[in-house]
Amino acid sequence: MTSQSEHSILISPVGELSSELIEAVAGEIKQVFGYSTETSSILQDLSFALDDNRNQYHSTAILDRLAADIPPHAIRVLAIAQVDLFIPILTHVYGEAQLGGQACIVSTFRLNEGRSGTNVPPKYIERIVKEAIHELGHTFNLRHCPEDACIMHYCRNEEDVDHKSGQLCRYCIIMLEDEIKRLRTS
Amino acid sequence: MSSTKILIVDDELILRESLAGWLLRDGHTVDTASSGEEALEKLKEARFDIMLVDIKMEGISGLDVLQHVKENDPDVAIVMITAYGSIPTAIEAMKNGAYDYMLKPFDPNELGVLIDKIIKHQDQEREMLFLREEHKERTRFESMIGQSKPMQEVFDLICDVAPMESTVLITGETGTGKGLAAKAIHTNSPRCNGPFVMVNCGAIPEHLMESELFGHQKGAFTDAKETKKGRLELAHDGTLFLDEVGEINMRMQIDLLRVLEDRVFYRVGGTQPIEVDFRVIAATNRNLEEAIKDGSFREDLFYRLNVISIKMPPLNKRKEDIPLLAEHFLHRFIQETNKDIDKIDREAMDELMLYDWPGNVRELENAIERAVVVAKERKILPEYLPIFCHEPLHAPRNNSLQEIEKAHIRLILTDNDWNIARCAKILDIDRSTLYSKIKRYNLQKN
Repeated sequence: MTSQSEHSILISPVGELSSELIEAVAGEIKQVFGYSTETSSILQDLSFALDDNRNQYHSTAILDRLAADIPPHAIRVLAIAQVDLFIPILTHVYGEAQLGGQACIVSTFRLNEGRSGTNVPPKYIERIVKEAIHELGHTFNLRHCPEDACIMHYCRNEEDVDHKSGQLCRYCIIMLEDEIKRLRTS
Repeated sequence: MSSTKILIVDDELILRESLAGWLLRDGHTVDTASSGEEALEKLKEARFDIMLVDIKMEGISGLDVLQHVKENDPDVAIVMITAYGSIPTAIEAMKNGAYDYMLKPFDPNELGVLIDKIIKHQDQEREMLFLREEHKERTRFESMIGQSKPMQEVFDLICDVAPMESTVLITGETGTGKGLAAKAIHTNSPRCNGPFVMVNCGAIPEHLMESELFGHQKGAFTDAKETKKGRLELAHDGTLFLDEVGEINMRMQIDLLRVLEDRVFYRVGGTQPIEVDFRVIAATNRNLEEAIKDGSFREDLFYRLNVISIKMPPLNKRKEDIPLLAEHFLHRFIQETNKDIDKIDREAMDELMLYDWPGNVRELENAIERAVVVAKERKILPEYLPIFCHEPLHAPRNNSLQEIEKAHIRLILTDNDWNIARCAKILDIDRSTLYSKIKRYNLQKN
């Protein structure tokens, strides 16, 4: 999508995804984090993370693989998957991130209500973008925010995702700025 | 910044790690233990607000951990983690004091709701304790005393800075008189006819802080039955004294910085900007430079507060002031108690001079007060000074460990005017632990 740059955020689609969705995610990343993006799939086969008993994919295992494979010029990687994700203690997750780390993942599976990644209606694009930014926020050390309109608010269901805004609250903006400043000076 | 401390006790590594990761992203402080034995070891060193405990573990079981915690720290909320087949045991655990139980794997919705519910419940408990303390709070201001060189330097600095408008940061150990210095600056400033409003940032529960500082509009939240002015508004035209400023959480630091920069704020739930004009004096016994390094204090707020700094010397660095201070306190307590006491015996004064006074002037003040109360002669003798007793807690040798702990906590609270943050620091436990112990031992201010 965009050309390789020194400090970009890598969007890594898993499988075929709607170009509108990827463009929306890229645009919002630029707006919220101020970094340019590039799109390149660094992980296509997620079978290593499949739990046969649950018929779900272990997101933490995927994050470990993403972090290991991230290109040197990318500061963060966001994978967009289409399978149902879980962490062992929870029934499911919309996504997962390494807090203060490099990798995060979001899945369209529940947010797009089971549709294919190439068929994402506008309302669902908005949902997925919010959760993608939310997970990426974690990699910049942002935690869940008590303000229910903030994009870092933890959403218990899809309705909560629809309810929250696409913006960070004023506290999270400042904490993100602090973190980006820290990254740029370290 | 204070966050809820959660201990996960589960023998399955993958479950511990995934739950810990989720709770960390939710903003909590998390520790894990792989067995009941390890959990009990961790509990010796730290206190947790919530424990998530697997029922079935080899060795010490989840039920054993529950029993141990309920006997020693009943305010810890314990949620039992269970598999489908163990539900009857989980129900049994609830009869024995567990807060709730959850079936593995958890629905993320239910886990978040449960954690929020527990935190709210624990906050309410703390709020009640805080309100009780606040009601009984007695603030005593008096002239600062000291002829030593370090104190003369402090007096000179206070005289120099008082007429200015600059923000002052007062640092120093607990009990060194930071509050007195703040009051002295206010009294000698052009704002002396305005209010002197103190905010003890270490004593106000986190969820009350925003409303305390900024006030709220009627209906802003469930309990906001009336519009209330916050302390920033009350300090208008006067001085705002932020005591224990190092205890303010990160979000409130952001708000406070904005007010200090703009001098404008909004009440909680309010839409009308309120302009304020006050001078800020802040005090702390924390090393804020260290707090900046560990990420718990904002650097920009530090520089905003630390325009002029005053360091209060500890009492053991100005021992020549001890006789003067001791006589001053003696005189005051004789008047208060109407007791027939003339002086402090020379030997007792020698003891006062030899002691190291880790609690500083406040500890000296309390020692003299107690000596006056127990004195049976016309002079204060060494044996009236509790700090020099060889049985420091006056505890009979057959006292239980809990009785000794209760007596010691009461002593520290009394010596430090029930300043929770300060007492927690001296006792080397966190504030929530101290609150919990105060409640458990039913300790109350006299």
